[in-house]
Amino acid sequence: MIMKHAAWSGILALATAASAAFAAGPSDPQIAAIVVTANQVDIDAGKLAVSKSTTKDVKDFAQLMVTDHTGVNKSASELVQKLHVTPESNPTSQSLQKGGGDNLAALKKLSGNAFDRAYVDHEVAYHQAVLDAVDTTLIPSAQNAELKALLVKVRPAFVAHLEHAKQLQSTLSKSGA
Amino acid sequence: MPELSFARSCGAAAAGLLLAGAAASTSGATSAAVAPVVVIENVQFSPQNLIVKAGERITWVNKDLFPHTATADGKIFESQAIAPNGSWTWVAGKPGTYAYGCTFHPTMKGTVTVQ
Repeated sequence: MIMKHAAWSGILALATAASAAFAAGPSDPQIAAIVVTANQVDIDAGKLAVSKSTTKDVKDFAQLMVTDHTGVNKSASELVQKLHVTPESNPTSQSLQKGGGDNLAALKKLSGNAFDRAYVDHEVAYHQAVLDAVDTTLIPSAQNAELKALLVKVRPAFVAHLEHAKQLQSTLSKSGA
Repeated sequence: MPELSFARSCGAAAAGLLLAGAAASTSGATSAAVAPVVVIENVQFSPQNLIVKAGERITWVNKDLFPHTATADGKIFESQAIAPNGSWTWVAGKPGTYAYGCTFHPTMKGTVTVQ
């Protein structure tokens, strides 16, 4: 089932962020754009799931994604303003944006249990990919100490979200249908 | 020791004051003069297992970028959402060990033991 449609392209983009797109690693302005876009994409998916899912646990998780990633982006925005860094669009942020749009388009065609599963499956893969990118590319490449510190600070949230999404994935698969 | 500005809101000032005690609390120091504090950071409660005496005021301080709760099983205590940089205080009552967590983040677990 993995990579069965274009919605997963953003995840692929993150996975390859370390290699093709950045021979020398992304710059701080590029990292800022990746962080803000990655959060926004998950906020948008969360808002859709809050409105479309009929399962309480899925809606609660989706609302959590909206709240937490909004909190992270608020801090990221405040930091880039303070540092006078202008987020710079780059192949990874653009692919994330496109992948996020494709995911929304795919989810909008689904309903009920199929929607829940597709949303949660994507959340698991997405958070794993973000975590990998944070560890292998973003934190090692960040030059500014405060930007690096922000990435370190938000990392545990991605770990907790990933674990939460996996629990939900397991619950949904047990509920059958 | 951070300076305390009384121009700040009560909540922020209280959080700053209590943070000063956090290091002692988390390092396991037994000074009775320091109010017990649980720092919520990195989507974890720290210390994860807190031991207090009945009647002590425990304060949870949220240093994460998004809300958390401190919610005991059976709602022995229930903070509701604690905003980023916000705090919540509970006065320890009946002795016992109370398991609690964050209702938003199921991976977060802790205990409070009241002696």
